[in-house]
Amino acid sequence: MKVYPDGTVALRGVDFHLRKGEIHGLLGENGAGKTTLMKILAGVLKPTRGVIEVNGRRVVFTSPSDALKLGIGMVAQYPALVPVFTASENIFLGLSRRMVSRERLVKLMNETGLKVELDAVAESLPMGVRQKIEVLKMLYRGVRVLILDEPTTNLTPVETEELFATLKKLRDQGVSIVFISHKLKEVLSITDRITVLRRGVVAGVVETSRTNPEELAKLMVGREVLFEIKKKPVKPGGEVLAVEDLWVRGDSGEWAVRGVSLAVRKGEIFGVAGVEGNGQKELVEAVTGLRRVEKGRVVFLGRDVTNRGPQELYKLGLSHIPEDRVAMGLIVNMSIIENAILGLHWSREFVNSFGVFKNKRIVEHALKLVKEYEIVAGNLNSPARSLSGGNQQRLVLARELSKNPSLIVAANPTRGLDVASTEYIRRKLVDLRDQGKAILLVSADLDEILELSDRIAVMYEGRFMGVLDSKEADVRLIGLMMGGYTLEQARGMRGVENA
Amino acid sequence: MLDGRLKEYLTGFAEVVVAIVAGMLIGGLVMVIGGYNPVDAYYQLFVPSLTTGYGLEMTLSFATPIILTALTFAVGVRAGLFNIGAEGQMYMGALGAVIFGAITLPSILYLPLEFIVAAVLGMIWGVIAGILKAYRGVNEVVSTIMLNWIAYWIVESMRVYVIPNPVDASKTVSVPPAGRLPLLVEGTELSAAIIISILVLIFTYFLLWKTAIGYEIRAVGYNPLASRYAGINVRRVALYSFIIGGFTAGIAGFCEVAGRPPSYAITTGLSNLMGLGFDGLTVSLIGYNHPIGILLASIFIGAMKAGSRNMQIYARVPLEMVQTVQGLIIIALSIPGLLRIISRRIGGVR
Repeated sequence: MKVYPDGTVALRGVDFHLRKGEIHGLLGENGAGKTTLMKILAGVLKPTRGVIEVNGRRVVFTSPSDALKLGIGMVAQYPALVPVFTASENIFLGLSRRMVSRERLVKLMNETGLKVELDAVAESLPMGVRQKIEVLKMLYRGVRVLILDEPTTNLTPVETEELFATLKKLRDQGVSIVFISHKLKEVLSITDRITVLRRGVVAGVVETSRTNPEELAKLMVGREVLFEIKKKPVKPGGEVLAVEDLWVRGDSGEWAVRGVSLAVRKGEIFGVAGVEGNGQKELVEAVTGLRRVEKGRVVFLGRDVTNRGPQELYKLGLSHIPEDRVAMGLIVNMSIIENAILGLHWSREFVNSFGVFKNKRIVEHALKLVKEYEIVAGNLNSPARSLSGGNQQRLVLARELSKNPSLIVAANPTRGLDVASTEYIRRKLVDLRDQGKAILLVSADLDEILELSDRIAVMYEGRFMGVLDSKEADVRLIGLMMGGYTLEQARGMRGVENA
Repeated sequence: MLDGRLKEYLTGFAEVVVAIVAGMLIGGLVMVIGGYNPVDAYYQLFVPSLTTGYGLEMTLSFATPIILTALTFAVGVRAGLFNIGAEGQMYMGALGAVIFGAITLPSILYLPLEFIVAAVLGMIWGVIAGILKAYRGVNEVVSTIMLNWIAYWIVESMRVYVIPNPVDASKTVSVPPAGRLPLLVEGTELSAAIIISILVLIFTYFLLWKTAIGYEIRAVGYNPLASRYAGINVRRVALYSFIIGGFTAGIAGFCEVAGRPPSYAITTGLSNLMGLGFDGLTVSLIGYNHPIGILLASIFIGAMKAGSRNMQIYARVPLEMVQTVQGLIIIALSIPGLLRIISRRIGGVR
């Protein structure tokens, strides 16, 4: 049991058993308590009540190093390497001199198949490799119980497959692995057993071979979740947004978008996939008037709107669901009511000709949004930060859609949300498409792109690797494109394999 | 269940009470060490100035300009700016009012023109810092400190060379009786200036919380990135904030010249104005940069100013000790507000 200082009970009477040489999935929604449980096992947090036993012996951890001594090590969601150190320096960091042996490290790499270039500087390496370094770091310290917290968040599909192969190999060598995730497919494909947490309690422990996605989803959210979102066949209309040979700089002046062209039509969802940091953020900001376009044109409903401000674009019928709702989509210190009119605060519906707010109208508007979008909010005068993540995003969505837009630009709209809110928002986007809205969906979540989009572009280093119809899209093809192959190259490879 | 905002107000109020008690305890300790009776001293400091008619009138007259300069700072903080230029903007406002002592006009025009010119000069002084900040990225702390001193010397040389008082070299010309605000109570310093001050306070409250411009100011102060996303012109909002702040500070200068007997002028070395801008900063910090808090805090500080004479005369505490004790209380009161601003600056957007 674990009670946080603010009184939140994160875990309540949880039993968790890990066997030697198994990959054990820990599945649950955001806030189910997965990370808390593992932090307790790794000695980072102390339980309020309850015991931990290792190999039948009762232990008390006062720090992560206690856990490490007993062979329990955790790899956090984001690799925490020293960016300017080399791989080997990072692995040896903190060890006494007599523990440092490059030969032993090379031997370990050969045994486990976890091979990295030891003299490469960490910051120059892709995320997948950094993850491997973290795992090596743990193994080098003699860890026999490896806890991985959402290890695939930052990996491309190809890197994920590699990681999985490694994990299976380690398991066969007797290492026990806890695999924390909320991605059903991954958990099903890699684990031997699965513990499902729901709001701090164990909802079920199942053998992976004897379960299916529906059962897991049911355990996770406590009700039937339909993962298949039904879409009507696409009936695209006229062009709403056209981007022609767009060039945009990133924050440090480098070219982040290099000559992207695209068109979004009425009644379709145009998805942009890609590993984060390949220019998607800059593309979205350029289209929504937040970042300067250096070269190229943005045409919205037949009008050239290149480098026009957001206020003007909103008036023309743009809605922008930004990537980071806390930093950009909301002003979390302002009330829910005030956030309901963010960006609409000059609309004649809410202010009179002297710029004075029409209070009654604004409150009615906020109430309508809260009701229509099932936002769970206590008091509409309390600050937006009091809402949960899912409800914050619903508020953003509600406000943006209340503009009755003709184009919706959505960037990672379901990031970090629980299953129920994710489903709600995805359904809503499809509804809007069916109503004839044009939607530009930029997301690092491949499932989301595949599930929702009618056409898919893959962005890599500021360019589109190709645009394909959702019918011919599959994870492998897109994965290759995310890794830097053009559509033609990727198709060619598949041809060879099939032959 | 408590309303979230009400709860915030209550914790804020509790914080202030704790700070006052802490400041008074430390001040009391200092007085005990110095050999004075703290109970007697505190009684004389606060009780007459808040309970007797005359004391209350003095308290309010001291509060009048501080309310206005506090609004300058508050509107700055609301927009995420640390505008400490109220001092100089107030000097310029006072200058704008006092020059009418040297001009002959139909009686009825004096007060409106003094008001307008004072407000305009205050706004101009504010907008200089605003333009430097918005379009040149000049830190507003540096520019406003410099502008304060420029204003000081402009007004001081005007006093000496352009509008000196022909019969009293220690001050400028006085505004004529037609250009003075009526006294509310004869024999005190409480004039209609307090009414103007409170009207401006209400106006500022209304502007910040009931209009789109005020909404933009507060939005930018909380989160510039989200404000840009909302289509708010962040630079222009900084200008608005400086203009509104310059307006209220300019009115403070007007109130001191047109509303404070006996001089109705600016005295040597700006001695009747000096410090009122920084008193406003303190009041704003104590009052959570909120108009209601500012009103209460300015009455508190006004009472301390009014009570300091009683403390000297009846509790026999020397002026230096009075100032030390008051300083300790004010420091204790400002700490929470200062910490909030600092953490916001360090913490960035969140």
